[in-house]
Amino acid sequence: MALDVSSNLAPEARRRPPVTRVVLLAVLFVVMTIPAYLLLVNSFKSQHDIQSNPFAIPFGGLTLEYLEAAITSPQYNVLRSYGFTFFLVVSVDILCILFAGPAAYVIARSLKRRTQMLLLYFLAGTFIPSAALIVPLIYVLRSIGLGNTVTGLILHDVAMTLPVSIFLFVGFIRTIPRDIDHAAAIDGAGRMRTYWQIIFPLTRPAVVTVLILNSIGIWNDFISPQVLLTPGSGNYTVTTAIYAGVSQYSTDLTKVFPNLLLAIAPVIIFFVYMQRHIISGLTVGALKG
Amino acid sequence: MGLAALKVSPARADGDPPAPAPGHIGTAAAGRRRRMRDGVVSLGMLAPAVLVYTVMTVVPVVVALYLSLTDWNGFSDATFIGIENYTRLFEDPGISRAWVVTFVVAAFGSVGMLGLGLAYALQLKDRSRTNSFFRALAYYPHVISALILGFLWSAILGTNGAINTTLERFGVGPVGFLFDETLAVVTLVGVIVWAGFGFNVVLFVAALQTVPYDLIEAAQIDGASRRQINRRIVIPMISPVVTVAMVLNLVGLIKVYDIVVSLTDGGPAGSTETIAYVILSRSFASTDVGFATAQAVALMVVSAVLSVLVAALRNRQDQAAAN
Repeated sequence: MALDVSSNLAPEARRRPPVTRVVLLAVLFVVMTIPAYLLLVNSFKSQHDIQSNPFAIPFGGLTLEYLEAAITSPQYNVLRSYGFTFFLVVSVDILCILFAGPAAYVIARSLKRRTQMLLLYFLAGTFIPSAALIVPLIYVLRSIGLGNTVTGLILHDVAMTLPVSIFLFVGFIRTIPRDIDHAAAIDGAGRMRTYWQIIFPLTRPAVVTVLILNSIGIWNDFISPQVLLTPGSGNYTVTTAIYAGVSQYSTDLTKVFPNLLLAIAPVIIFFVYMQRHIISGLTVGALKG
Repeated sequence: MGLAALKVSPARADGDPPAPAPGHIGTAAAGRRRRMRDGVVSLGMLAPAVLVYTVMTVVPVVVALYLSLTDWNGFSDATFIGIENYTRLFEDPGISRAWVVTFVVAAFGSVGMLGLGLAYALQLKDRSRTNSFFRALAYYPHVISALILGFLWSAILGTNGAINTTLERFGVGPVGFLFDETLAVVTLVGVIVWAGFGFNVVLFVAALQTVPYDLIEAAQIDGASRRQINRRIVIPMISPVVTVAMVLNLVGLIKVYDIVVSLTDGGPAGSTETIAYVILSRSFASTDVGFATAQAVALMVVSAVLSVLVAALRNRQDQAAAN
């Protein structure tokens, strides 16, 4: 590793950075930070200040008024929707691990062709866009009495996360020697206990990847909560709350910017702290899933 | 591990005689009993995942296939009308237009993300603090919901948006980023590329870091320029990842919905309606369930074809790597 770093760095570090690099990175910096800058600055300005000069920072006119209004807003409150979204993410994460882990273990360890075919059965699910699946799903949920329920939404989200999670777990478990299973069996452990006590702790890297992949996916999901929970249910996720709110007051920028800031800020903070894990988790998930 | 203390409990649960001592585990009868019990437990371990997945994913697909052959409106009885909904797919000008928009967005969006991804990956491939900062900067929109990014950009590019009010102060504009029918499609592609190219950067950086340095050094000694090295050595070396990224981009964009809703809401005059948008925001909203499911089935087929393409390409890549 150390050798690799030095050999990669050597030719670049000694020379002064070429003009193309400076220009490209400057453009990148400007294009990527301007939206974030506008979001941040305009969340503390009055409609008049936003309209007259959106880029300026009017040091005299900055106010917490609008952010406070967004935080305490009785309707489509983004801050309050964190609670429900968080609950959704945690429920789906737990159920996904509980369901995907043991199933992946059985598939990974099975010598039967029939069981191994199950992996393909699950993988077929990754082909189906949720925009296409959600319309018939509503009627399926209704017919089993889960129409317009949080339970229905959670089960749907779990089903959406299962294929990639099982795939990643199966791949990981296959790298764990079977001798470990045999040792556990000789000690008298059943398959369930072997999985949870011996194998599951060894799959920790895969579990972290799956948790990151699923949590970000569920947190950002819009279609499923929007279609499966009618507005009357009163359960808003961050995305559906933003949608309901912004659709209504789209011209009032003093409501748009603070609400968007409230929706984006926690994700960015989380990203800054967990950057390495998130980037590698999402990359692995996309490449293998 | 404390397992020795646990060995009796699974046997008790099944009503079996106490588990044999480790030395006896090899006897035929005990082995058969153990296999039986393991078989039942295995089924139990598979059941929840298979059940949830089947009911929530497979059954709706079957239901969609059936409903697409009916004129069901979501309430009254469904009448079987054969493939009428599918012929409507080809006759409806709104649908054809949505497919065109979808493919334009998918094609230009994919190419844009790929091109920028590659350009910046070549700049940011070496390990350094500066590079990892810029990689994160390019990547961050990928962790934010597309819906929210769309709203943010519409607040920036709309008629009252930050860009147009600023241009106005200089006596220019307003520019119809979101209100000109053609420009709105360009804006949509632009925002999608802005939000997604960072993901391509990260994929390519990972691939570029596996290119052996002695190859590049050999070319340098032979007097190759940086551009020649990139074009003749580096990019061919990572071409399998480029292919995978291309198809991942395409599969992701063929179902684009969230960002359309928040950025343009399909407008102006339906010029940015994608197929997923038509399914959810028009056909389904108007209780034309039979027609909506026919569109959904068509989208599944297109998405499946693209995904099979990924699998085929990846297989070829794996085989190439194995040889």
